[in-house]
Amino acid sequence: MLASTMQPNLDQMTGLGGVRSDALARWQASGWPDANVEAWRFTRLGAVVARDLVPAIQGGETGRETSATIAKIAAEMQAHVIRFYNGMIDVASLDGLPDGMVATHSLTSDFDAIAAEVAGLAPNDHPVGNLSLAAMSSGLRLSVAAGVQITQPVLLAFEGDGENVSAHPVLMVDVGMGGAAVIAEWHQSQLGLNAPLGALRLADKARLDYAKVQAEGADSVHLAATGIALGEESVFAGFSISAGGQLARLETHVTLTGETAECGLSAIYLGRDKQHHDITTYMDHAVGHCHSNQIIRGVLDDASRGVFQGKVHVAPDAQKTDGQQMSRALLLSRKAEADAKPELEIYADDVICAHGATVGELDETQLFYLTSRGIPKAKARAMLIGAFLDDAIDVVDNAALASMLRHISDGWMADVKGVSL
Amino acid sequence: MTALLEIRDLHASVGDTPILKGINLTINAGEIHAIMGPNGSGKSTMSYVLSGRNGYEVTSGDVLMNGVSMLEMEPDERARAGMFLAFQYPVELPGVGGMSFLRAAVNARRIEAGEDEVDQLEFVKMVRAKAKILGINDEMLKRAVNVGFSGGEKKRYEILQMALLEPMMAVLDETDSGLDVDALKIVSEGVNLLRDPARSMLVITHYQRLLDYIVPDYVHILSGGKIRKSGDKSLALEVEEQGYAGIDDAA
Repeated sequence: MLASTMQPNLDQMTGLGGVRSDALARWQASGWPDANVEAWRFTRLGAVVARDLVPAIQGGETGRETSATIAKIAAEMQAHVIRFYNGMIDVASLDGLPDGMVATHSLTSDFDAIAAEVAGLAPNDHPVGNLSLAAMSSGLRLSVAAGVQITQPVLLAFEGDGENVSAHPVLMVDVGMGGAAVIAEWHQSQLGLNAPLGALRLADKARLDYAKVQAEGADSVHLAATGIALGEESVFAGFSISAGGQLARLETHVTLTGETAECGLSAIYLGRDKQHHDITTYMDHAVGHCHSNQIIRGVLDDASRGVFQGKVHVAPDAQKTDGQQMSRALLLSRKAEADAKPELEIYADDVICAHGATVGELDETQLFYLTSRGIPKAKARAMLIGAFLDDAIDVVDNAALASMLRHISDGWMADVKGVSL
Repeated sequence: MTALLEIRDLHASVGDTPILKGINLTINAGEIHAIMGPNGSGKSTMSYVLSGRNGYEVTSGDVLMNGVSMLEMEPDERARAGMFLAFQYPVELPGVGGMSFLRAAVNARRIEAGEDEVDQLEFVKMVRAKAKILGINDEMLKRAVNVGFSGGEKKRYEILQMALLEPMMAVLDETDSGLDVDALKIVSEGVNLLRDPARSMLVITHYQRLLDYIVPDYVHILSGGKIRKSGDKSLALEVEEQGYAGIDDAA
């Protein structure tokens, strides 16, 4: 494909320095992967390529209120809200951050050094990484100093509008040694493309509870890339839910760099109509004695499609690794499709690793048991779907994040055809 | 007087295999009938046909509850009309909380009857009271439905559901299977407490033992998809002594 026809078109971007200039060069050279690239075999990007997109790179509005839904959730969570619109941070919303959290952003500061750190942590030579680093709508780094433990959730609200607009927010979270934070991303836009790039770094003994909601508008495309590095004895408890958009891919690469680090990287995808949801993970056990656990649940209705690709890599010296991965998809319609590609790549010999993937329908025997008690079939179905999803959300320790996620799954279920709660 | 349950020349198949080959049975209000029979005689098929399970196809005949045919009704409609099946193998529902399950079942019937949904606090009190009689503790009530229950606990939980739903017609499918004598006594006591002039029961069992505790008014021997012999409770003792052999010949 000719670079000049790639969407979004970055031909006008000039004068970038450092890693962003490199990222732009890589984007211009390779652009979006086609179906011949194995990592993108199940997720075709025709819907993005066909759009006429202009990256949002200027301006930034302050004082715009978040949607009522987000405001309500944030209030319930007692969260501090940081607002983004078209990928652009609302600087005013950085006032009043929880004590101990420091924000640095690209609108008034030189962000090149931070961008370089993001590039180092993010998935390597990844189309979203290349594109969003080059086009960066705005960049934000949140850092928590060593030993500071913050319990108040910080909710990053990403909204936006414009079918010809692509947003490229870049986020870095840095939790210092022994520090802790609770952070959520909520994406709910009417953008042509929302392509957030994330980098999360946990120093030794740090803890980060992290949840992401993808609730984009029906015509939006959401392509996210996140890189995570975990230090010794650190704990990352991550959970994503992908429910909105026309096409979505949440790709997360984790590197366990310190021994006895723990990583939870679980996700739910909920598909209806012709939606396409892709959850892709790469769990790199670079050192030994770490524990990773991934629970993936998908519910697919109508002609929707769900993809889970997850690779667990265990380095030769990463002995005593415990890497678990389980993907289960529930098809509510004959036209729905689920693909799972779990992979284990183990080079150490003393490890406990397991993976599994199932695709099934609602259990007829369970449905009969419920209906034999007088429970209407639609309610019985909802109870079983809810149980299937709750089983995954139950791993979320943080109550505020769990209730935020349940808000999405409950809302989705209320709209399943033939289900009235 | 209209019978509470009337089964008329009922034929039913599973797939292409005919299992029930002409069952006739009339149960009046307040009566307890027992169906005994060897393995493969059609006992469990009968319980599923009565409760309307998918895949159990009635090829001819009729089943009426209070004079109304149930064959066109879905399982949930039958249940709300007063039918209850205590399962031989109660089904585990991982992730479905016990209390919300019980409340959904009770509310389904109340909504149908145009009543208000049950008050949550009152409901918890009611469940606890009925559970206590059956030796079901709070910890068990909090678990997901039937998950991690022993065989005996599952059977007691079935009877708890029956006590809460107060059915007109209860079918107990091999409620004694997998129970030791102590558990059998608890379950039977629970069932006997639910004996009522307005409530009928059909107790399906392989062994006479259960009928020492839940004493039936009538006993029927099912074999080869037909009722071969009917009598009072002494027929069960006869079967106990002589076995099922020869019943087909006698018919």
